Order: sequence, then C-alpha cells, then structure tokens
Amino acid sequence: MGHVPKSGAIKAPGPAAAGKVDGIEARGVDDRELVRRAQHGDKEAFEVLVQRNQGRVFGVAGGILRNREDVEDIAQQVFLKAYFSLKRFDQRSAFSTWLYKITVNECWDLMRKRKVRPLVYESELTEEQAQMYLAAEGKTEPAPDVRERLETRQQLDRWLECLEERDRVMLVLKEVQGFTVEEIAEIMGINSNTVKVRLFRARQRIAERIRRKRQAAGV
Amino acid sequence: MSDRPKDTKENCEWFLNELEELPAEGPKWTTPQELLTRMPEAAREHAARCANCEAALQDFVDTRRALEEMRAGLPEAGPWFTGRVMAAIVAQEEEIEEKKNGVWISVRRLAPRLVAFAAVLLVLGGTWALELRRADQARGPEVRPAESLFETAPSTPVNDDLIASRYEEQGR
Repeated sequence: MGHVPKSGAIKAPGPAAAGKVDGIEARGVDDRELVRRAQHGDKEAFEVLVQRNQGRVFGVAGGILRNREDVEDIAQQVFLKAYFSLKRFDQRSAFSTWLYKITVNECWDLMRKRKVRPLVYESELTEEQAQMYLAAEGKTEPAPDVRERLETRQQLDRWLECLEERDRVMLVLKEVQGFTVEEIAEIMGINSNTVKVRLFRARQRIAERIRRKRQAAGV
Repeated sequence: MSDRPKDTKENCEWFLNELEELPAEGPKWTTPQELLTRMPEAAREHAARCANCEAALQDFVDTRRALEEMRAGLPEAGPWFTGRVMAAIVAQEEEIEEKKNGVWISVRRLAPRLVAFAAVLLVLGGTWALELRRADQARGPEVRPAESLFETAPSTPVNDDLIASRYEEQGR
C-alpha cells in the first residue's frame, strides 16, 4: 500500500506508476489534465485514471467489505459510475477524493441491500481458512502462524462490529488506508473536528474490548 | 510543530490533535513510549502529567496495532482489472445507444398508425363540430314582437326639460 502524503488533496500513486497506455504518455500528466481529457471523451485518459486509483479504491472497499468478490464488483461499479458522471464533476475537489466518496457510498449501499454486517460476511475462503479446512480434513497441516492470523482477523472483525458504520469506515480509512483527518472529513462530508471526536470514541471502544480480552486471557 | 497553548484543557486538545495527526505510515512502534519519541517534547511532558491523555495514547497504540493485521489481508486489484472496467464501460455505452435507437425505431414503426389515428380523430372531431352547428341552426332564431316603424316610444324626459317646464309653470 502506497504512502499517502499529508496534503489538502488526496494523492494517488504518482504519474510514474501509470506508464504508457495505448499511445497516451501518462508520465507527468496530472489527474486534473487526465480528467479534463476524459470529460472530452478520451477513454485512454480515463484508463490511466483507473490504473492510478484502483489500488486505493480496492483498499478502501476492502477495508469496509472484506469479501474479495464484493470488493471487485464494487470497485468496478465505482469506476463505471465515475466515468458516466464525469461530465458533472467540476474538479472543485481532487478526483481521488471524489472517487473515494463514491467508493464509500457504494459500499454502504451494498451493505444496506444485503442487510448483513459486512465484516463477517465471507462467501469464499481466504487462504488461511482454506488451510484450516484442509487441516480439519486431515489432508494437510496448517502453518501455526496461519491459525493465529486467522483467529486475530476474526477477533478484529468482532471488535469492529461494535462500532457504528460511519465510525468503522473512518477508523479503517485512518488506520488502514492512511488518510489524514482532513481527507477523511472531505470524503465523508463532515467537519474535521467531528472526525477527530468520532475516531477518539471509536478507539476507546476498540481498546476497551482489547483490554477485556487481555483480562480474560490473564495477561 | 504547533505552539503549545497555556490552558490545561487546551493542552489536552492540543495533545489529542498531535496524536491524530501522526501518519499511519512510518517507523513501526509498539509501545506508547516509542510513539511519544515521535511527538514534540511538550507532548511527552503533557502525557507524563495527564492521566486521561496517557490513556488515550494507550488506546491509540492498541487500536493501531490491532488494525495492522487488517492491512495485510486487504484484496488488491488484479492485472486484468483495468481491462475489465474499460470493457464494462464500452458495453454500457452500447446499451445506452441501443436504447436510444430503440426509442426512435419504435416511433418510426408506429408512425403510420399514429398518422391514421390522428386522421380518424380529425374526421370524428370535424363531424362532431359540424353536427353541433347544424343542431344550432335547426333550433332557428328567437321570435320577437313586431314593431311599427312609425311608432316611437316616449322618450324619457331629460332633467333639463323637466326643470325648464317647471320654470315655465312657475313663470305663469
């Protein structure tokens, strides 16, 4: 996951990461110019924007949804929505900010439709779960660290369940994706002080559950 | 580095702000003491004095360490993802184009029927209007009492005439 610089605009991985796409020389072309070209029908410019921002979109959606299939579908939907709404985008905010807003909203829409808590919804086995399954079948021995990692992840999912949706998303954006408070405020459409207060409370709740677990384990 | 405010409550706010502004990326730290080494001197002093902020610092460290695991397991876009998105865009554009053409095709197909329907409406409407007019004519004009050309209705006296006639009467 790329380092996110602390600045007013959320910056995706730089132009050097985009390379050349079917004739368009993407190095040195910033997002603003690519958006302008894409708004005039240049699909290659939009393709470069997809390449630059897909990692972060996957990261944001993955932090909220966790299920790989859902994340891929949502990520595709996000870019489709962005493409067909591009003419209405006035570039008052950065393209990446606008894209992450769409990502968060699409994730929430999916969660509302499914009406299940997304962090426990897994329709396919992760690699670790597959190893555990095979071990249960007696076909192979799971690596000790795999078991431990799986348990840790499940424990984390349970802890995050205690938070409100918005607080969970904010915590993931901050701690997992590395967005700054101002960036999160812009994505969520709220005041940065509100973000700080909610993050503070979310951490208190998670930390409380961590302490209880330690006490139960006698640590 | 921000200036340290003087009031205690503001010190706490300042400390929590400094904590929140710490980037997620950077050197790894596992204890509050390690984290404090990355903060200003004033923050270290404050954490040593303020139990609430020390607790907040511990919560911060615990939560960040817990969420470390989440970073490792996040799905990533495959090399085919961009192609899939662009193909989906092209497919959706074609669908939109087909729908637009579909509307016009339907209009062209229905055009003769629409014309025929309009013609029928016109004929029916015209017939109805004509029948209405004929019915009016059949009722005929209203009959009024005959008037004589030579008979004139007495005119209503004008005030001037009345005043003049009274004046004459008084003058006699």
